[in-house]
Amino acid sequence: MRIIAVYNIKGGVGKTATAVNLAYLSAREGYRTLIWDLDPQAAATYYFRIKPKVRGGGRKLIKGKRELDGLIKGTDYHNLDLLPAEFSYRNMDLMLGEQKKPAKQLLKLLRPLSEEFDRVFLDCPPNISLVSENIFRAADALLIPTIPTTLSLRTYHQLLDFLKGHRVSVDLIPFFSMVDRRKRMHLDIIKEMSEARPEMLPVNIPYASDVEKMGIHRAPIGDFASRTPAGQAYEQLWAELKGRLA
Amino acid sequence: MSIHVSEFRLSGAHALAGVISALKSEFRLEDESESNSTHVYFDSFDWRLYRAGVSIRKDDDGENQRLELCRLDESRSPDTLELDGAMPLFAWDFPAGSLRDQLSELLEMRVLLPQVEVNGLNRRFRVVDSEKKTTLRLVLEQYNTRSPEGVDGRPVDGRIRLIPVRGYEKALHKVEAFLAGELELEPVEMGALEEALASIGKVPGNYSSKLNFKFKPEMRSETVARQIHLHLLGIVESNISGTVEDLDSEYLHDLRVAIRRTRSALTQVKGVFPEDVVEGFKPRLAWVGQITGPTRDMHVYLLDFDKYRDSLPERFHADLDPLRRFLQVHQLEAHQDMARQMESEAFQQLRQDWRSYLESPESRSQALAYAGRPISELAGKRIYKIYNRVLEEGLAINDDSHPEALHELRKNCKKLRYLIEFFSSLYPEKDVKALIRALKSLLDNLGSFQDLEVQALKLREFAHQMVAEGEVPADTLLAMGMLVDGLLRRQVDAREVFAARFSAFAQKENRAVFKRLFARQKAKRNP
Ligand SMILES: Nc1ncnc2c1ncn2[C@@H]1O[C@H](COP(=O)(O)OP(=O)(O)OP(=O)(O)O)[C@@H](O)[C@H]1O
Ligand SMILES: [Mg+2]
Repeated sequence: MRIIAVYNIKGGVGKTATAVNLAYLSAREGYRTLIWDLDPQAAATYYFRIKPKVRGGGRKLIKGKRELDGLIKGTDYHNLDLLPAEFSYRNMDLMLGEQKKPAKQLLKLLRPLSEEFDRVFLDCPPNISLVSENIFRAADALLIPTIPTTLSLRTYHQLLDFLKGHRVSVDLIPFFSMVDRRKRMHLDIIKEMSEARPEMLPVNIPYASDVEKMGIHRAPIGDFASRTPAGQAYEQLWAELKGRLA
Repeated sequence: MSIHVSEFRLSGAHALAGVISALKSEFRLEDESESNSTHVYFDSFDWRLYRAGVSIRKDDDGENQRLELCRLDESRSPDTLELDGAMPLFAWDFPAGSLRDQLSELLEMRVLLPQVEVNGLNRRFRVVDSEKKTTLRLVLEQYNTRSPEGVDGRPVDGRIRLIPVRGYEKALHKVEAFLAGELELEPVEMGALEEALASIGKVPGNYSSKLNFKFKPEMRSETVARQIHLHLLGIVESNISGTVEDLDSEYLHDLRVAIRRTRSALTQVKGVFPEDVVEGFKPRLAWVGQITGPTRDMHVYLLDFDKYRDSLPERFHADLDPLRRFLQVHQLEAHQDMARQMESEAFQQLRQDWRSYLESPESRSQALAYAGRPISELAGKRIYKIYNRVLEEGLAINDDSHPEALHELRKNCKKLRYLIEFFSSLYPEKDVKALIRALKSLLDNLGSFQDLEVQALKLREFAHQMVAEGEVPADTLLAMGMLVDGLLRRQVDAREVFAARFSAFAQKENRAVFKRLFARQKAKRNP
């Protein structure tokens, strides 16, 4: 089982779109795939038409009284299951803090699923918290959608500092998201950062209304617009990511 | 992601439309697809896929053909392969990938045979919730069947299958309750594949080369002996056509094992058949062993060829290609000779005579010491006797013993194994399993010791034969020499571990079990 966390400190950079689309492509290739919606906003859960839990077992889960297994929902796609968001995740930091090894709880929860799934995608809430520290320690790779702006570069460095400070070693895989090729600044930053940062995946997800339409179709882009530039870009992203995970 | 599937029977053509409209009036039902399809299900002669809970299905929608490895319980989505050439016959004909890996493990050397053809109409629906999220899938199927020979099967009821979505068990239970309660549909117990097979008179899993006799201790020994022989004769006969047609190597193998067991039973289960019967059939059965031996030898070399080749450094691999061709050509020749013999009068007559003897009324003659005795008595006596012989022979072997001594020991171990397998139902399963395991480990060692040498000598013989038959590259002969060397080395290794294997077999615990199960309990003497 490989765990891929789609993460960025910044909000609104395309994390959920990425997690949903890649999980879909992974499942379509026959990998038994799980997407875990860790964001109480429940966007990923919404895309799959699944109802989030209002009052959930979040606390029981973390206290070890309940297993993930019973909370998993089948999506409408073969090989693709989802662990829905719970509104109680808002208090997840507090709940985690009550545990003995607060930074390793997520991994502990995921371990029993290792026989059942080949790939797990974590759709993460933005910010740095105890939840994100759990995510860093559970993940085999952090996939980091990055909008090519100077601010994004700063947050990327913040993340690097945080990881270093906490002695977390995890494979960092940033890539550019919401790229607008008409913007000079986007192109400049892409060029600059690709040279400075060899870990950047050489795939850019364009800014495209087809991605926004996922909210209307309530489906991954591959289901309704796989031939479009954005659909193709996600397929490339998946191919590159697979190469990096191998 | 394991899924539970429930199915209901749809009898009569009208039921279908009625069921659909009833479901639509009760649930949010969305049409998903409708298709006519032809599926052919494949399996090996001995149902290896079925036994493992899977099947290979060829789907043909008129334009494209594809193969699916499906789980019979639909617990996982199938592995698929688009077919653009001929149907692969063996696991090794599949393109490299997970499908081939799974099949290699299950099928090994066995050929895939078409088992049944299913033609039908498939309608798929989804039950959705208020978010239009699928909460249950429904498949309505109506189909008819045909045997691979083109004979139509008996009509089969349609069925409606409910495929639950994980985490939406409530939807499943509601629809189940509706179908069973309101519509009074009956659940079907039999899987769709079993039912399709049954409609053309096939029972999956009904052939196995493994023995599974169930005898009662008090049965007459003669009755038991006849049952054993009839069963073995059945195995021989069911493997003849596959052997003659050379579909795969396992038909011949099973046939030969059944003949060996027959010969062993004939001579080892003593005192149940008249002497002239035993003496009359002995040489005729031995003859079957002889006529089939050369083809089996070639099969073994071809089956092991890759292993042989891989035992050499890679740069010599290609040097062995002429050997492979030699083996293939000679396999064909040997097979032709064998097939001729198997279609001969003599072979037919043998089967006929043997069967009619085995099916004739049992003799009630007093002349046969054990015919009328309970089988428990005879079985114990024979097993214990051979066991003691094995012990005696094995203990006499030391580092200087002649290889012949080990070969002799192997023969008796085999006799012992066959006897225990014939009569295992008379003894506690756990004990028998442990003894067979111990025996098998010893037999494997003795088998290696003998077979490795035989194979080495045989390879030398092939080398000479290849030279005699024409041009053979020196590199090929050298590579074969390396193989011979490797085989003889492994034989030496086998000889070295013999002592340890034998003492594991002969250990006190095993002796106690043999004694407890098979030795005659001495009646207490009256004082
Ligand atoms: N490549 C894109 N082109 C255009 N719009 C996009 C693209 N990617 C994402 N969006 C849109 O931007 C918004 C934010 O995207 P998304 O939810 O994937 O980001 P996020 O990083 O998960 O946000 P959050 O931090 O709130 O969880 C959504 O409305 C989405 O439809
Ligand atoms: Mg998000």
